Amino acid sequence: MSTTLTDRPAAITRDAIRDLYDDYYGALDEVRLHDWPEFFMQDCLYRVIPRENFEAGYTLSTMQAESRGMLKDRVTGLTRTQMYAPRYYRRFPTAPRIVGEENGGVRTRHNLLLVQTLIDKPSEIVLSAVCHDLIVADEGRLRFAERVVVFDSEMLPNSLVYPV
Amino acid sequence: MTIPVRPPEGRLWPVDADAAVPYWVYSDPEIYAEELRKIWYGPHWLYVGLECEIPNVGDWKTATLGERPVVMVRSAQNEISVVENRCAHKGVKFCQARFGHSEELICPYHQWSYALNGDLQGVPFRRGVKRQGGMPADFDLKQNGLTKLRVEEVNGVVWATFSEETPAFRDYLGEKFWKHYTRVYDGRKLEVLGYNRQHIPANWKQMQENIKDPYHAGLLHVFFATFGLFRADQKSAVDIDDEGRHGILISRKGEQEKTEAMADIRNFQGDLVLEDPRVMDVVQEFPGEETVGMITIFPSVILQQQVNSLTTRQIVPKGPDGFDFHWTHWCYADDTPEMRLRRTRQANLFGPAGFVSADDGEVLEMTQQGATPSPDAHMILQMGGRAIESTDHQVTETAVRGMYRYWRKVMGL
Repeated sequence: MSTTLTDRPAAITRDAIRDLYDDYYGALDEVRLHDWPEFFMQDCLYRVIPRENFEAGYTLSTMQAESRGMLKDRVTGLTRTQMYAPRYYRRFPTAPRIVGEENGGVRTRHNLLLVQTLIDKPSEIVLSAVCHDLIVADEGRLRFAERVVVFDSEMLPNSLVYPV
Repeated sequence: MTIPVRPPEGRLWPVDADAAVPYWVYSDPEIYAEELRKIWYGPHWLYVGLECEIPNVGDWKTATLGERPVVMVRSAQNEISVVENRCAHKGVKFCQARFGHSEELICPYHQWSYALNGDLQGVPFRRGVKRQGGMPADFDLKQNGLTKLRVEEVNGVVWATFSEETPAFRDYLGEKFWKHYTRVYDGRKLEVLGYNRQHIPANWKQMQENIKDPYHAGLLHVFFATFGLFRADQKSAVDIDDEGRHGILISRKGEQEKTEAMADIRNFQGDLVLEDPRVMDVVQEFPGEETVGMITIFPSVILQQQVNSLTTRQIVPKGPDGFDFHWTHWCYADDTPEMRLRRTRQANLFGPAGFVSADDGEVLEMTQQGATPSPDAHMILQMGGRAIESTDHQVTETAVRGMYRYWRKVMGL
């Protein structure tokens, strides 16, 4: 039986970070969208941003949220207002690399491949990215204070529907 | 001699000529090839980029017009050139990056070098080596430069055309659309906020149609309808130019309430409230009461002004059944940091993951999937009647009819 997230210690250990990512990608791959905002602090920064914008210093993002509330609004938009063809998303992250500490939080990097499968179509890569994350202990669990997904992909195959 | 286009063998245009268009316009490869010749490389101005993307002499940006790669380059302080990105020698697409800076344009293959305006400057071994080889004596540098396009820079936007017959840009727009254009592109300096790029597997005309069709916006885009950004019961208008090729949808922001008009929208979500409404922090900034002005400039671009979100959306056709869609999000150079942030936030409504625009990409793909296998069936374009005229409401497909009337004229169909 798996432990619930709140049972885990809030110390930012390598194991705890690994568990955070396993839980995070598990929730997204299983399309438990309402669980997704809970992985972020109330005040957070979430960006899925083209590499060309990131390198030019532009903050304009394909998807952006500046609070857990905005992440919830993204879920509301997806579940109540948007129209899209049914699809599976599956995420292939590499192991996180710890790259630094910041105000008691830990900065990590890892690569990510996002693959989608549409009805009657071969699976295709939506994006190839590197994730720049800042992980903090918050309310007895680990959460993202920042998650900036910088994608190399020059041309997205139509829409980016689900979060990354 | 030009060969007249006829509908592909065995395929006819529907009798209800203005209000019905056959689906083979989306899928026939011969029609697509003819579109490239007569529309994209014909007497039309094509969007290339923003002047502010190449601020210094020697700065360049690559783009694709129709299917042809070009380089937009600042060739002198007050001069922008657009040249074909195709070496005169072997046809090499010599600029591969999106942006760059160089003193001259050089092909990496045999190092033919061109001035920034496209003039051929030098050919290595032109006189041979040790009196061996070399180009013939009559080889003329002047006759062998890059293809130069006609260029106009108009209030920060760079336009180019392959044809000598294209009228001046202002005449191409017409006075009515010149007024619409200069409402937003009013001469103030522009600045790039960022880019979005997506490939939409649908015929390029579908994107033009989508923005010429306000009737879908209040129905497909539940997010818009819910938060009153674009609704069937708002005061609105559709304007088209005399030729029928350009269009604009004009609308005002409404309220988030149920009205009689909303009863027809099956999935209207009147109870929705945003947890963090900053994405909807809209301020009035243009003259008049309108909050939306979506301009389609035939054939290559959509100039978006949706509340405070300003973008150019360039269409790059990739065969009959797909196009690349390049979004350039911009602001005015003298915008406050608050306004830049507001525009950046509102980008969440648009682009490949936009609360609104993702719907469009998806539904255009579905249209292509349904229409391609049935080329002889046809669309029904009767909303608002059969006439082609400007209207003071959104419940119409008038601008789509106008575009196809113009398209048929140009295509000789």
